[in-house]
Amino acid sequence: MWQKIREGLNLRIGLTDLVDSSLKEHRVPSDTNIFYTIGIVTLVAYFIMAVTGYFLLMYYVPHTDHAFSSVQNIMTNISFGWLIRMIHIVASNLMVALVFIHLISIFFMGNYKKPREITWLAGGLLLLVTLLFCLSGYLLPWSQRSYWATTIVTNIPTAFPVVGEYLANVLKGGEAISGVTLTRFFSLHVGFLPPVFMAIVGLHIFLVWRIGLSVPPFSKSAEEEKPWTEYSHTTYAESYPFYPHFFMKEVSMVMLLFAIIFFIISFFPTMFIPEAANTPADPFKTPADIKPEWYFLAPYQMMKLIPNKFFGISIQVIAIFTFLFWPFFDTGDEKNIIKRPALMGAFIILLSVWFALTFWGRYS
Amino acid sequence: MQRRSFLSMIFAIIGSISLGSLAYPFLKYLAPPKAEIKAGKQTIRKSDVGDAKEILYQNTPAIIIDRPGKGLIALSRVCTHLGCLLDYDKQKKRLICPCHAGIFNLEGRVVSGPPPKSLTVIPLKVEGEDIVIG
Ligand code: HEM
Ligand code: FES
Repeated sequence: MWQKIREGLNLRIGLTDLVDSSLKEHRVPSDTNIFYTIGIVTLVAYFIMAVTGYFLLMYYVPHTDHAFSSVQNIMTNISFGWLIRMIHIVASNLMVALVFIHLISIFFMGNYKKPREITWLAGGLLLLVTLLFCLSGYLLPWSQRSYWATTIVTNIPTAFPVVGEYLANVLKGGEAISGVTLTRFFSLHVGFLPPVFMAIVGLHIFLVWRIGLSVPPFSKSAEEEKPWTEYSHTTYAESYPFYPHFFMKEVSMVMLLFAIIFFIISFFPTMFIPEAANTPADPFKTPADIKPEWYFLAPYQMMKLIPNKFFGISIQVIAIFTFLFWPFFDTGDEKNIIKRPALMGAFIILLSVWFALTFWGRYS
Repeated sequence: MQRRSFLSMIFAIIGSISLGSLAYPFLKYLAPPKAEIKAGKQTIRKSDVGDAKEILYQNTPAIIIDRPGKGLIALSRVCTHLGCLLDYDKQKKRLICPCHAGIFNLEGRVVSGPPPKSLTVIPLKVEGEDIVIG
């Protein structure tokens, strides 16, 4: 029967030819490392989010009177509701971690350089969209953590003169977090962001496929690389087909992702669910231990340390823009970061500051 | 100018104007609807206040504090940094923000931490046994 289906499809859309030309003949360098698979693993994490998210939608009620109890209902009454919600929560954290690892490894290998500037820019936007997903997502359970973390974040624009106040009110849909905000964030989380994410991912992956995977700067192929003067798919000193060689590497990493998700759910189920996430929102009491998620701890700690609000937030906005447009500033030919001690130093200092702020924010 | 490029220019201009004019209703749509603010004054019995009492004034959480030796004051509880609600620490005579450790004194002025300005002081009058706020 498979034979028949395959022949039928061959006749109509040239299936074999399509698979051959886009997968088997698509070459990837043979000196890639494990970090080259992180992109696809992140994409799989996104699909896990989407699937579990759609299932959550079937019982979740986006209304201030029912949101918290509907999530409790998912956790305690609905068969396997806890599993679906736990996967959604754990995978969201892992997805953020994966995006970070992906970016850092690409930065480290200098693979954002010409001709891959737009690929980097799209990736940076994907990080921002992912963080927006998390931000809008964690208001939804309408817990104390939801309520107050969102209060803080939606007030951030008020640091900017003139438009700040207006912007903050547009985000919240009023002076304070309320049912209007919940509806707004809900539509963002399940309606607006998914298609935006898919569109940017589409561009990102199209560019990778069209330009060809880059080679690590310390590899043999890199030594033979010529400056990029006109378009042609990247060529390599040594390469193998994308399918099945590289594909199998990716599949094993995806399996590792699933293993980690279930490991955390089994052995550390409360890792991402602090006490304040189990208490319904109370607009008249800010809990004492309100801490943002780990990926927002560094900016949060910075805000605590820098006494001037406008200054504290401007630094972060400038940092985000520098990060997004970095390939357009750093245009030299040298890809190998080991031969660029200044960049290497700055990069390591930045990473250590980020880690230090994160731990400081966590334990202060 | 060639006719062809003139026409495409006209198209581009008309196109952007019509698209741009759509932006206005969409932005307006996003702006928050006007909140109803409850009538100006509010009355509370003096005996209800004690050392301090948390109240809601015009939809904003506020607090009336009986400061030892300095009398009553009504302050907004919304931290001027990023909007968390302050807790009253009676021993230290301070209002403390649980979010980024902003600290205010009982006049509503910033003592330390990131808040950029003083708390809103709400007008308050004592009329016999009643406290009138607003
Ligand atoms: C199409 C995709 C998605 C849908 C339909 C969806 C749907 C939902 C729903 C209904 C909730 C509320 C229930 C709950 O709190 O457990 C939720 C929560 C959440 N979502 Fe999503 N989601 C999607 C994608 C994502 C993505 C890509 C991320 C980030 C990487 C994300 C992060 C979160 C977070 C952090 C929460 C709060 C979890 C909690 O504390 O309960 N979501 N999502
Ligand atoms: S919200 Fe009060 S110090 Fe930041």
